[in-house]
Amino acid sequence: MDLKELWQSYHEKVEANLSINRKNAEDISKLKAKTYLLSMRPLKIFTIVVGFLWVIGVYMLLLHAFQIGNYFFLISAAVQVVLTQLAIGVYIYQLVLINQVDVSDPIVKVQERLAQLKTSTLWIARFLFLQLPVWSTFYLNRSMLRNGEYGLWIMQIAITVSLSMLALWLFFNIRNENRHQRWFRWIFQGGEWEPVIKAMEMLEEIEEYRDRAA
Amino acid sequence: MLLMHSQVKAKTPPTGLMSNTEQDQQFQVLVEQHKGILYKVAKTYCQDESERQDLIQEIMIQLWQAFPRYNPQYKISTWVYRIAINVAISFFRKYQRRKSSVDLSDPPMYITEPENVEKEAQLQLLEQFIHELRDIDKALMLLYLEDRSQAEIAEILGLSLSNVSTKVGRIKEQLKRRFSNHKI
Repeated sequence: MDLKELWQSYHEKVEANLSINRKNAEDISKLKAKTYLLSMRPLKIFTIVVGFLWVIGVYMLLLHAFQIGNYFFLISAAVQVVLTQLAIGVYIYQLVLINQVDVSDPIVKVQERLAQLKTSTLWIARFLFLQLPVWSTFYLNRSMLRNGEYGLWIMQIAITVSLSMLALWLFFNIRNENRHQRWFRWIFQGGEWEPVIKAMEMLEEIEEYRDRAA
Repeated sequence: MLLMHSQVKAKTPPTGLMSNTEQDQQFQVLVEQHKGILYKVAKTYCQDESERQDLIQEIMIQLWQAFPRYNPQYKISTWVYRIAINVAISFFRKYQRRKSSVDLSDPPMYITEPENVEKEAQLQLLEQFIHELRDIDKALMLLYLEDRSQAEIAEILGLSLSNVSTKVGRIKEQLKRRFSNHKI
């Protein structure tokens, strides 16, 4: 069976009978619609601005903690603020990618950029998970260290060590190859993560094309 | 004079010192001449009839917005295919439907003779098999079936010629195998 012949036998007739309302084409040219990508920009800019304000706020707290010598808070906040800055860096990278996407570029190039844009959201998730342990240490101080009971300290150490191990494990394992794993699907379930999972599949498809070309 | 009456004329840049009215007219001619591409891309990527109307409208919006940046080094059909397929794959927001003002619906079927009933069934199978392909494979197959040269397919997709040739061969084989399995 000739697939081309089969396809064209029908579609030639269809094409001859397609009609587009001239008025509708005219309406489109008057539409000041925002493109899909540009509509993503305001939220990203807003997040970057809020992120910067948060970072400035934490730096001021760090300065205060340095003066009173609360090292637990100092180290916890420093780790948190560094990771927040890295997450802001990812948002800036996404803005750059948004500006680079031209819908009239070749399909593979555009799809790769878009997939990179979507999957870079995973980096933000990785940085957020890496912050987990510091949420169990920032409130500690010298007085607690001197007067605390052994039981409480054992519990504190167990929680901080567990969170550190979990954070590191997630940081190193949240990646494309693990997207079929049950734990991965559990963390990234829900409609908001669906485009990210689809983008990972697209990157895999593009990679296969590259492998064939090599 | 409108420039899209032939692809040769379409290689002239569409904007520059043109008035808005001239640009509007050129755009309308472009849509009229390439409505077949819009329809077939939408049909390949979207099975739902009402969503397809929205997709066609989205493609037209993106074409209009990209129109002033048209690069005359490419054939106009290459440019239209790129935008239409890119929009169909990822720019189309399924869940944020606009009120569609475009009507490019399936025209009535004309194949009614008994010998063509089988052909129609085969065509539906072909469309179903293509729909099950992955997004870039789908684009590749659509362009092959549309009888685009391998050089143009490579340019639209941004792949090497050898890559296009190997991949088209594999997908064709895959589809033929599916057809023969279906008969059994």
